[in-house]
Amino acid sequence: MKKIKLTIEGMHCASCASNIERALGKIKGIKSVSVSVMTKKAIIEAEDSVNIEEIKKAVSNIGYKIINIQ
Amino acid sequence: MNHNHSESKGFEDKEISDWKVKLIGAWLFTIPLAIFMYSEKLGLFMIDEKIMTLVLLIAAFPVIFIFGFGTIKSGIKGFTSFYFNMDSLIALGTIIAYLTGILSFFIAIQDYSGISSMIMAFFITGKFIETKARGRASQEIRKLLELGAKKARVLRNNKEIEIDITELKVGDVFIVRPGEKIPTDGIIIKGESSIDESMVTGESIPADKKPKDNVIGATINQDGILYVKTTKIGSDTFLSHIIELIEDAQNTKVPIQKLADKITSIFVPSILVLTALTFAGWLFFSQDISKSFGIAVAVLVIACPCALGLATPTALMVGSGIGARKGILIRKGEAIQTMKEIKIIVFDKTGTITKGKPELKKIYSKNEKHFLELLASMEKNSEHPISKAIIEKVVLKKYLVVKNFKIIRGKGLEGEINKKKIIIGHTGLMKEKNIKFNEFKNKIKEFQEQGLTTAMLAENKKVIGIFGVADELKEDSIKAINYLNKSGYKTIMITGDNEVTANVVAKKVGITQVIAHVLPEDKANKIKELQKYGMVCFVGDGINDAPALKQANVGIAMGSGSDIAIESGDIVLANGSLRGVVASINLSKATFSKIKQNLFWAFAYNVIMIPLAVAGVIHPVLAEIAMAASSITVVTNANLLRNKKI
Repeated sequence: MKKIKLTIEGMHCASCASNIERALGKIKGIKSVSVSVMTKKAIIEAEDSVNIEEIKKAVSNIGYKIINIQ
Repeated sequence: MNHNHSESKGFEDKEISDWKVKLIGAWLFTIPLAIFMYSEKLGLFMIDEKIMTLVLLIAAFPVIFIFGFGTIKSGIKGFTSFYFNMDSLIALGTIIAYLTGILSFFIAIQDYSGISSMIMAFFITGKFIETKARGRASQEIRKLLELGAKKARVLRNNKEIEIDITELKVGDVFIVRPGEKIPTDGIIIKGESSIDESMVTGESIPADKKPKDNVIGATINQDGILYVKTTKIGSDTFLSHIIELIEDAQNTKVPIQKLADKITSIFVPSILVLTALTFAGWLFFSQDISKSFGIAVAVLVIACPCALGLATPTALMVGSGIGARKGILIRKGEAIQTMKEIKIIVFDKTGTITKGKPELKKIYSKNEKHFLELLASMEKNSEHPISKAIIEKVVLKKYLVVKNFKIIRGKGLEGEINKKKIIIGHTGLMKEKNIKFNEFKNKIKEFQEQGLTTAMLAENKKVIGIFGVADELKEDSIKAINYLNKSGYKTIMITGDNEVTANVVAKKVGITQVIAHVLPEDKANKIKELQKYGMVCFVGDGINDAPALKQANVGIAMGSGSDIAIESGDIVLANGSLRGVVASINLSKATFSKIKQNLFWAFAYNVIMIPLAVAGVIHPVLAEIAMAASSITVVTNANLLRNKKI
């Protein structure tokens, strides 16, 4: 298990946050996602097998951009 | 990570200034457009309808497709990816309205292109105000972010030089003059001073510091010159941890928001369906395509998932910020909601109600010299606060060699001195080891009745002396517990101490129920038992009491200064005062009631306004204004939490 923290650009409403949660939640191996519209941060708990590129793709597919990964 | 923090702050400012540019641009075209459109409607001048439409289409174009480009793009992305968002509604609404203008050249239909421009302009205005208000909601965190020092003055080759904070390394010695900010966390190696830590811990009384004391970065040195050795830098510092804690807390959920979240996630597609039905219905019954378009646009733009989605996060953010200013760090949003159900508050004794710095008060032995020699030699091997209290008072020239030393957790110590078995511990341990202490019974009772935690030392199974340590109450304990009792909470003290001593302390502080003789590992079980009677809040230190903090419905972890265990507890108090418990309860209740108010507002708004729009009684521009106003109201209402006295 690993914990990933992302800063996401382009979120400007609460439905955006829930969209990102939904999109990331669909990735296999991601255990939990929470996105804060206030801090623009996503905290993800995922299995080690989860690829960061996959996460990036899921976020950009629905129109947002990851600007920082921790 | 400091880097990240400043980055996140940066793009928030950028977001506001982006909206500002769009706002100015949008109105620059929309105001003349509106004046032109309405003066013609009022009959101030006459113009050919086709030319009028052409003018409106030209003027509205930049508003929707240049200044509104971001919204349109993100909205369309919603349609192509099937992840609809707020922008999808606005994009669809404005594009439909704009297209009626083009359509009007070919069929007889009312031109809404001027309206589309006004909708977009109001939408942008709403977003600008909302983004600013959201920025205000996180102002306390911004202040914490800005708190960190930029420069440090260090000793290099015996010379003082000023360096950038990022160049500072662990082990560097820096110098802080009176009135200056302490650049980062460290330990004092020379100098004494009092330090204002209020900005980080919320503690208003300056802390006196001397060599070997820890100092916190970003606090202010008041009187003396300090030489401090750097212990932590960058993302490891206390300040960075606090900021990270508050930020991470924003990703936790308050249970009440579940329904709102669920609605938010299906909101936009539902509105799209509703709009289609409304349009079809109106077209079918009224046969008026112009009216049907107008109503459909109104339904699209009046629906506001934002107010629903922002209701909880904004209030939580403002609540967290107010807390942070007072040294109350909310780690889990859930605690805010659970707090109002709490009936029982359990306090750990040592370090929570008391200062946690016991002092050796009394000893009793027939052979004092021998007793103290054995006692100090044994205690020298332990880090326990009681051991420290003893070795502080009993200083020997030469300590005896201890063999086979063992700490019996929560009970005492054992070891061998001069081939004799030594056991130190309270009555329970002695009973366990079959050691008689009849001749000391009266003395022990006498000690305990004075509130002293009493233990004894046995040499080869024979008790040779007893000692009593006392741990003073923290200044605010009595007041805080008094307040909680009056507010109707059942307060309970839990401790590893014996009943007699514990009762003395409990009585002093105003607690009637004591659970004594509890080993550290059993505290969580005791909490579990109490939970049969109601929701339990446990207040204890974050290091030893982690399981109990977890077991409790709300765990409040106490810290003092930099020694806080941030990983445990739903709420962490940065300064050790029990006032923080009272404030946490008040803050949680105030924040939660704000969340409820906001959710009520947001629900009520949508429940009332959407049907009105469907019924066709709201003009599309008014619909957009109402929508913008509703999300601004929610964010502004959250900001009003600051007026509450905590």
